[in-house]
Amino acid sequence: MNDTLINDTSDELAPRQMYVLEETGFNEVPRKFRRFYRKWGGPSDPLAPNEVVCPVCKIVIRSLQELRVGDKVYCMPCMSRLIVEEENGLLVARVNY
Amino acid sequence: MADWQDPHKLSEGEFLDQVHSFEFWFEAVEGYLHDRPYGFDPNAVDEEMDDRRKDGLITTLCNYCIGETAALEASSGMIGFAPDRASQIFLSTQVVDEGRHLEVLIRRLQMLGVKDPEAEIDARANKSLLRFKERLLELVDSQDWEAAVFAQNVILESLEYTVFRNHVQTGDKITSQILQGIVTDERRHMGFGENDLGRRLRVAPHMHDRLDKIKRELDGLVLATFKQTLGELGIEGPKAPDLAHDYLNAVARLGFES
Repeated sequence: MNDTLINDTSDELAPRQMYVLEETGFNEVPRKFRRFYRKWGGPSDPLAPNEVVCPVCKIVIRSLQELRVGDKVYCMPCMSRLIVEEENGLLVARVNY
Repeated sequence: MADWQDPHKLSEGEFLDQVHSFEFWFEAVEGYLHDRPYGFDPNAVDEEMDDRRKDGLITTLCNYCIGETAALEASSGMIGFAPDRASQIFLSTQVVDEGRHLEVLIRRLQMLGVKDPEAEIDARANKSLLRFKERLLELVDSQDWEAAVFAQNVILESLEYTVFRNHVQTGDKITSQILQGIVTDERRHMGFGENDLGRRLRVAPHMHDRLDKIKRELDGLVLATFKQTLGELGIEGPKAPDLAHDYLNAVARLGFES
């Protein structure tokens, strides 16, 4: 995606990178929530630091800020509550029932 | 005021109230169905199909109708013994979805030249799927919420989701558009099931063994049906998707072994 990065830092202790989310064409949730999701193109579709794939329905969940381990996000298309974890150096989402 | 709202800032209660609501459903389906009467672009032109391909597609759609009828009858029955209002309201949206699925699939059968869809569905019904439907409705009749949610929203919906998603990629244009709308609906249904059961198993882990028994009885019936479906669609051999993959991942997240 080409969302606008508001500030940029690689220091883990520094404030997180913030994003202005653009519309993605995703139309499967109410309009006010659509920019927070996009379709995933599979393993060849890279994720931005503010994105994680829902393990239940494979939709990309997007945040206004860079995601870090322990963050909670919601997948509205499949109603899942998720927690961000690290797996093999990548951020992944695990369902938090 | 912004025309968007950050969903990740909602409390868990607010999130569940939101996604289980009829209002959420209405605004969601408006996004992908409003310009698609009977589930497809009215300007789409139907593809030429040879008799063999058309016959395979008709058999497949007839069995999709059986799956959707099972879900329609089960979800409407479950409203009466759902554990709370939010689940009742969500199930009422699922009933509408399932009724729509049945309608658009029957309409597609008619477009393919089937004069009497009811008779054709009876004639081409897969016995395993009929058996699954019978058992699902028995679980609903016995008002066993966890078993009914597991059979319908986890087993049936997960497998339909996988099969329909694969069919979208290989099907003719109109059938694919119809199925794409159904797949989007199925995301909600299977997500509801997995999350509802996940919450229940967390506080009542003793339910696990009972549901595991149901899983072992029922999932083979649906898997066998959809493997046959892929054969009817000509999706076989190395190109055939691993049908069980998404389903097994879902039940593994709930703590069930294959």
